Order: sequence, then structure tokens, then C-alpha cells
Amino acid sequence: MSDDPRDPLDAEQWARVQQLFHAASALPADAWGAYLAEETAGEPSLCATVRAMLTEDALRGSLLDGGLAATAHAVLSDDHAHLPMETAFGPYRLLRQIGEGGMAVVYLAERADLGSSAAVKLLHDPWLSPARRERFASEQRTLAQLNHPGIAHLYDAGVLPDGTQWIAMEYVDGESLTEYCRTHALGLDARLQLFREVCDAVQHAHGHLVVHRDLKPSNILVTHAGHVKLLDFGIAKQLDPADSELSPTKTGLQLMTPAYASPEQLRGETTGVYTDVYALGVVLYEMLAGTLPFDIAGRTPGESEMLILTAEPVRPSVAARGTTQGADANTASWADLDVLCFTAMHREASRRYRTVDALIRDIDHYRRKEPLEARPDSTTYRLGKFVRRHRGALTASIGVLSILLVTGVVSAARIRTARDAAVVEADRAQRIQHFTLSLFAGGAESSEPGDSLRAVTLVERGVVEAATLGAEPVVQAELYQTLGSIFQKLGQLDRADTLLQQALRSRRRLAADHPDVARSLVALGLLRVEQSRLPEAEQLVRDGLALSQRVRPAGHLDVAVATTALGRVLEERATYADAITVMREALRLHTAIAPVSPDVVTAATQLGNDLFYAGEYDRADSLFRHSMTVAQALYGDRHPLVADALINMGAVRFQRADYAAAERLDRDGLQIMQFVYGTEDPRTASALTMLGRALVAQTRFSEAVPLVKQALAIQERVYGNVSPKVASTVNELGIIALREKQFDDADAYFARNTDIYRAVFKRPHNLLATALANRGSVFSARGDNVQAERYFREAVAVFSQTVAPTHVDIGIARVKLGRVLLRQRRFADAERESEAGLAILTSQMSPGASWVKNARSDLVQVYDSLGRSAKAAAMRVAQADTLLKR
Amino acid sequence: MGSNTRGPDADGESPDERMQSADRDALDAVFSLAYEELRRLASVVRRNDPNASISPTTLVNEAWLRLAATPSVAHTSPLHFRRIAARAMRQVLVDIARRKHAGKRGGPDAIVITLDDGNVAAQGSADLLALDHALDGLAQMNPRQAQMVECRFFGGLDVAETAQLLDISEATVLRDWRAARAWLATELRDAS
Repeated sequence: MSDDPRDPLDAEQWARVQQLFHAASALPADAWGAYLAEETAGEPSLCATVRAMLTEDALRGSLLDGGLAATAHAVLSDDHAHLPMETAFGPYRLLRQIGEGGMAVVYLAERADLGSSAAVKLLHDPWLSPARRERFASEQRTLAQLNHPGIAHLYDAGVLPDGTQWIAMEYVDGESLTEYCRTHALGLDARLQLFREVCDAVQHAHGHLVVHRDLKPSNILVTHAGHVKLLDFGIAKQLDPADSELSPTKTGLQLMTPAYASPEQLRGETTGVYTDVYALGVVLYEMLAGTLPFDIAGRTPGESEMLILTAEPVRPSVAARGTTQGADANTASWADLDVLCFTAMHREASRRYRTVDALIRDIDHYRRKEPLEARPDSTTYRLGKFVRRHRGALTASIGVLSILLVTGVVSAARIRTARDAAVVEADRAQRIQHFTLSLFAGGAESSEPGDSLRAVTLVERGVVEAATLGAEPVVQAELYQTLGSIFQKLGQLDRADTLLQQALRSRRRLAADHPDVARSLVALGLLRVEQSRLPEAEQLVRDGLALSQRVRPAGHLDVAVATTALGRVLEERATYADAITVMREALRLHTAIAPVSPDVVTAATQLGNDLFYAGEYDRADSLFRHSMTVAQALYGDRHPLVADALINMGAVRFQRADYAAAERLDRDGLQIMQFVYGTEDPRTASALTMLGRALVAQTRFSEAVPLVKQALAIQERVYGNVSPKVASTVNELGIIALREKQFDDADAYFARNTDIYRAVFKRPHNLLATALANRGSVFSARGDNVQAERYFREAVAVFSQTVAPTHVDIGIARVKLGRVLLRQRRFADAERESEAGLAILTSQMSPGASWVKNARSDLVQVYDSLGRSAKAAAMRVAQADTLLKR
Repeated sequence: MGSNTRGPDADGESPDERMQSADRDALDAVFSLAYEELRRLASVVRRNDPNASISPTTLVNEAWLRLAATPSVAHTSPLHFRRIAARAMRQVLVDIARRKHAGKRGGPDAIVITLDDGNVAAQGSADLLALDHALDGLAQMNPRQAQMVECRFFGGLDVAETAQLLDISEATVLRDWRAARAWLATELRDAS
């Protein structure tokens, strides 16, 4: 500033000034003059400076003494008090300020033409930071997508001439959630009802792939009519694959409120649906207990974080004692609320409710006095609940109890309640439909393990209901069919079998040639596929298809569905040429019915798989791409079917030895799977395996092994030890062990797989051939060329029975066979195999692929040994060419 | 963040330099948070709520909590982070005050939403700009003292924390603070 009163002192002068100042200040004020006169004789300016300082020291009235808050107030506080009310905010006229936060100031506004009111939110000082402008714009985008009675709507948005952004939104006249509970002295059930409304609104946002990330009572208002409105999507996140989210190192600047922040937010990890579930848990805790679970007020950041990450909060039932809502907090039913609340706010995201819907269901269970789906960490909870519920009548031994629990039949009383409730419900068919829809129409998160317990209970309830419907056999059969398919999805194949057979029998009794009989046959056939009873499966599906074709018009959905099912069976039987023909027809039928439909996605994927197995990678790739496009159109970018397509395209890249591209696609797919299913699901496991495979191919073993072992553990839990799904993961571990020269381990893995495939397929299958070839590779690596030859020959024989003669796998097996023959100095035999293998591989793979190079170098040796110098030279040139190009 | 004519800090590496090497987003976020905290402080004063906490420490704690996980901040100690935050508070406040000053004078940066002459904010802005200028002067006389004032006034560090950060005794902090405070007050009086 040019009006500087005096030049600053230099360091030496300043040291002297301070020394004088301190010395003088130790004296009484009336002695200062004499002291300074003596000490600063001839230095009037120095004297004046110290004098002025002494005066100010006694006054303590400068800005520095007022504190930062006063300064902030002075600089900031009044700027919008002078906002020109006539400034045009679209059709809105400002009336008065109603709120102010760090980000923005909010005005009550009136829409002159309609006479309605709105809240106009203005971004403070937009010039200050791009992050603030982006957050504000992002809230606007988010709100524009959401349309729910529990979320304040966006009306309009714009920018003032000076760049100030504004949005006009629904004006909510109400109190914060906790304030409302307090001022209205709400009882427990009213609180739960309100909380459920909050959950509904949050679930709506999740349905639009929006995670709020800053849920807290001050962002949740309750209107005078007693309804909830969610505000402030200021740091909401759009879940989108294009998001930087996909990068595994992503850390967010998360401007959340620490008291409601989840552990993963505190640790700067990826956020998702589970983050909102956690915050909802804290909100529920506060509504129940009247206090926050963690009191971080006045703590240092480290302490707060430590507290939230490690401390065990007091149970709500204990904290609530003596409050209005907690009048009966010492009763047993509050123990359920403890479980519910602590499940929602579990420190580990994977142990929380998977979705807000799951949380809502437990709230409903609680309010209807049913058992919760959530279980505390020990199993004693369920038992305790059961005993409490039946304390009067219960004299059975614990052993009996356990059996009841294991079979999933919770209690007779429970079923009676369910049936009574069911009777009240109106139309049965509608009930079936609703029931099915509510369970599975969502598709994405339907049968995750976290939910399956509950689903089983519900389905069991349905079975009991269905049994009472003997007078209505058509409805009963439909119910059995539906319930059977649901059990199948839940992996309870025996239960499914019984029900589907019951449905088929009952329908045949009604009319042998009815379309429903055809549908039953197909459904049972698909179950047989899962039971790995493939010949039966094929017969059932073919019968069903023939019947549908007879009783339905050409192009009917039933025909299309049955055709797809037949394709599936043929694929499982590894008769790919037939499967391809059938699936082409199925895709054509489904596309004619509805070109953008789930059926088209399924059929295109299946056909893609068949082409892939048959080694037709280009066509497979274009079908996977098609199925991804249709799935995206139907479900958006973050859907398991999109993930499937990505992973399938990754498999094509892998097969073509473009491992980096495969890794990228697999990571994208895995990200979606983990988002949708969590980390403990078999679908996540498959994606992990695929990624592991791509890493192995790039020799990144230490990254791959933990992923693959994690996948195997999940799969063994879900599928048991003898399953093709387990086998594919075991194979991956075998490959890693082989490459790390752990030959015993490797052979054990591959031997386990040949056993699995023989047990499951009972006939030649290309997967069996792969496992055999891999065993051969172990012996080859050990230098046991005789054993190796045996396995490679067996593999080539099995491949030849199951895949086209030009299949890449045959090519690789023959090259491997050629190599062990070469090592046995059987040059003519080796020449035949290596040449045949190389011919196949060069037609299918890039010239730089390792097997192509291996085949060439083997052949160079073979030709040299056989004295075919011209061929050897040509092969050397081809090899050098490829190496130079790389 | 506008022009900056400050002198170097005591240790030769200014917080600004450290901040520049930091992730741009983290920097931006620190300023956003500083801004929000200043808003909070201002509104507490306006509401005249005796129960509300008006210590700027809240910001620093929360900002640290929010930013600790970002790579560019993770390697700094909480105390050092508080020093960065103190600098951010000063800078944000000064930027706003400058902006308002410009608006009042109808300069090229004038904004549409202007201030009435003679209101408290105009005086507050002028005072703050004077303090900022005086602090720059103090930094030339004794960088450590300027830093101390910044940490205590803008960052809310207490005597013990300031002593730890600057690696001096608490008695020295008290003594240096008293002299610096008195000198700055004379400068502010002269400026007004």
C-alpha cells in the first residue's frame, strides 16, 4: 500500500525496539518516558515507535484482539443483506433470506406468475474456487434427475451476470429431523415411520445411481404435514463408469460432516451405496438414542477419527433410557433395534445392509414384530429372538430348535401370521406377481448372499401359502413354478426340483397340450442344466420347445424362450456348432419381439459365448458389444449385464494375447460387480478370476494370487468343491503354480480339475481337454516328456471331439505336443504336430503371440535336425521379422 | 488466488510453495473449507450466540479430517497442516476483502452485488487489508514472528502448539507475540 506510514524497520532495529519495549513494559507507565528518553537519546523515531507500542499494549483494542470471528463477520457478514431484491432469478422474486451455509445463501422467493413459493439458493463468492462452482453445478445436475416426494425438487437454475450461480428449488417449511422428533415428543413408532420415509427417499436417489454422502438431520427436514424432505445434494456423487471412481487409487475430497461420516469416508476410500447406509444408521441411532453414537465435539482430528474407526458406541437401547421414545428401552424388543442400527452403521461396509431396501425391510420386520434379516455377529441372536417370542409355549430342547432354524422354517406361529397377512391381501395372482417382482425384478441385487436368507424365508412362506390353494390348481401350479424358479436362483436346487416337478405334474393333469406344460418342461430342463444332468436337460427342453411350437404361433415369446433354453443346453454340452445355429434363431426371434429387451441381451451374450468357445472371436466380440449396448440402453452403465459384456470382451482380448486390454476390461467389469454385489459374491469371484488371469498372463503373479485365492474361497463356499465354476479358478492357480515352478502344487490343481470335469460332464468336453493339456504342461516343465506326451495326446483327442479342428486350443496343444516330441528327438512326429499347430495359431493369433514364436523356434530345430535347410531358413526369417516388428 | 507479494518464511519454504506442489484439488478444497469456516464464524458472531463455538480451530480440525486422506496432504503432519490452513484462512479473507474494496471503488473487478458506503464490512475489509500489509512488513523484520501471528490469529493455534510448531519455548512465544501484537496495532492505527 502506498500510504504506508513509515518504512519497516530492519531486523536489527526491530530487535532493539523489542528489547526496549519489553524492558519498559516491566516498569510502571509513568516511568516509561524517563526510561525511553535515556535509552533512545538522539533516536526520536525509535522512541516514538516503542512508545506507541506500549500504548497499544495497554489498550488491547486492535483487530488482533477481536479474534478471527469478529474479523470474518466484519468482512463477510453483510454482503447479501444488500442483495438487490429485484435482481432477476428467472421468474422468481426474492422475499427474505431463510438460511445460510458455508456454500450458499438461501432465500425464500415467490414466483409472481404462479403465486407459488420456492427456495432460491445462491453460491457465495463463486470466483473464489472452481471446486465450489463445480459442487454447486453438480448438485443441480443431481437434483434434476430425482423426482420423489421425499426429495426437494429442482425448479430452475441460472447464472447472474456476475457469474453467481443460482438454483430454484422446492421450498420446504419444516424442522430438522431430530428437532422435529424432539419438539413433537415423538414415540418410537412415529420415529421409525419417519426414518423409513428418509430411507425411501435415499433409495430413490440410489435407484438413479446417486449417492448422497452427506446425510444428517440438518439435511433432512420434516414438513408441517409430517413428511420428510431430503435437502442438499451438494456433495452427492453420480455413480458412473466414466467417473474417476474407476481408478483404484481414487481418493475423494469429501466435504462431509465428520459426525456422520463413514469409516471409508474418513479413510478416503471409495464411497458407494454403503456410505449412505452407514449415515442412515447414525441418523437412526440419533433418533433412537437422542444422542450421537460418537461424541467428537472438542476432539482433535486424530482422536475423532480414531473414535469413529475403533470405539464401540453405547447401544441405543441403553442410551435411550429415560427418553420419550425409549420408554420401553429396557425391553427385549429394543435389542432388535440395537442390531438393526449397528448393522446399518457397521464399521465394515460389507457387513452393513447391502442396500437401503434391505434396511427398510428390517424396519418393516421390526414394526410387524417379525424376526430381522440382520443378524448380530453371533448366532445367539436368532435363537434368543425365537425363545423370547415363544417363551410361554416353548419347552422343546435346543436341539429341536437348531433343526428348525437350519431348515429355515422359523416357527409355526410365524407362518400363521404370514398366512393371516396373506389372506388379507387381495388378489392372488397379483400377489404372486408382486411378490416375484419385489424379490427379483430388480435383478441386480436380487440374490446376493446377504439377502438369500430372507428370500428363502419368504419363499418358504409362499410354499405354505401355495399348499393351501388346492382348490385353485391353476394358480397353485403357477405359484409352484415361480417359487421353484426362485429356489433355483437361490441355489436350492433340490427344493426347486420338487416344486417344478409338482407344477409340471399338476399342469399335465389339467391339460397335456397346454402352453403352460411347455413352460414347465423348459424350466425343469434349465434346472437339470444347473444340476449338471445334461442329457435329461436336453430332452426336457426339446420336448418343451416342440410343444410350444405346436400350440403357439410362430414367433411367440414362449418359442423364443424355449429356443434360448435349448441353446443353453447345447452350449453346456459343448456342441457349439449346434448351439450357434439354435442361438442365432433365438436371437432372431427375441429381436423381432423387442429389439431392446433383456431377452436380447441374454441371447446375444449366449450366442457370443458359443462363438467364443468355437474360436470365432471377431463375431463373438461383436455380439458381446451388441449385448453391452442393449444392456446400457436398458439399465444404464452400472449394471451386472454391462459388466458381463465387458468381461466377455476382455476374454476375447485375452484369447488374442492382448493382455493389457483384457486387464482394463476386466477391471471395469469387476468394479461394477463389486459395486452391485459386494465383495463376497460368486459373480464378483468370477470377475476376480478373470482379472487374475489377465495379470498372470502379464507375469504379475504376486498381484494375481491373492485375487484368485479370494475368488476360489468364495466359489467353494457357494458351489461346493466339485463344480466347473470352482474348476476354472483352480485352473488359474494351477497355471500360476506352474509358472512359479511349484510343480507338485500345479499338478494337484490340474488333477483336481480333470476329476471335476469327468464327474460333471461324464463325456468328452473341451474343458476336460484343457485340464489334461495343463497336466501335460506340468510334466513337460519337469522334463518328463513321456508323461507329458501322454496328456497332450489325450487333450488333443478330446479337443478334436468337442471343438472345430482350427480351434486355438488345439493349435496350442499340438505345439506343446510337438515340443515334447522334439525333446525326445522324434523329429518327424514333432514336425507334423508343430506344423499343424502353427498353421492353426497363425490363422487365429497375432504373430507375436508366445505360442506362435515357440512353434517357430521348435520348427527351426526340427528342420535343422531333419536336414531341411531351406525350410529352416524360411522359418528363421519369419521369426526374425516378427521379433523386429515388436 | 490473486497476487501475492509476501516475503519468505522463516524456514525458507513458504506454505504457498508447499501448497503449489500439492494436488491442485486439495489446495482448492483447503480454500473452500477456509471460506466456509469463515462464513460459519461470521454467522456465529451475527447471531450473537454465546453458546456457539467460535474458535477457528474447528475449521482446522475438520479440514484436516476431511483432507488427511488426500495424497498431497497425507505426508504433512497435523500441525503443519494447521499452518497451511492458517495461511489459507488469511489468504481467503484478504482476497475477499480486496475484492470488496475493488467493488466499493468501482474498479475493474467491480461486482454486481455491491456494498453501501460506510458499512461495517467496508471498514472491516480495510482493517484486514491493513493487517495483511503490516504482517508482510513484520515478516521482513522477523519472519518467525509473522508466522506466529498468522498461526495464532488465523489458524487458532494456542501457545503450546505455536511453540511446538516453531520449535521455541512457550515463554518466547508469549514474549514475541506481545511485541508483535503491539507493533501491528500501531500499524493498524496509522492505516485507519
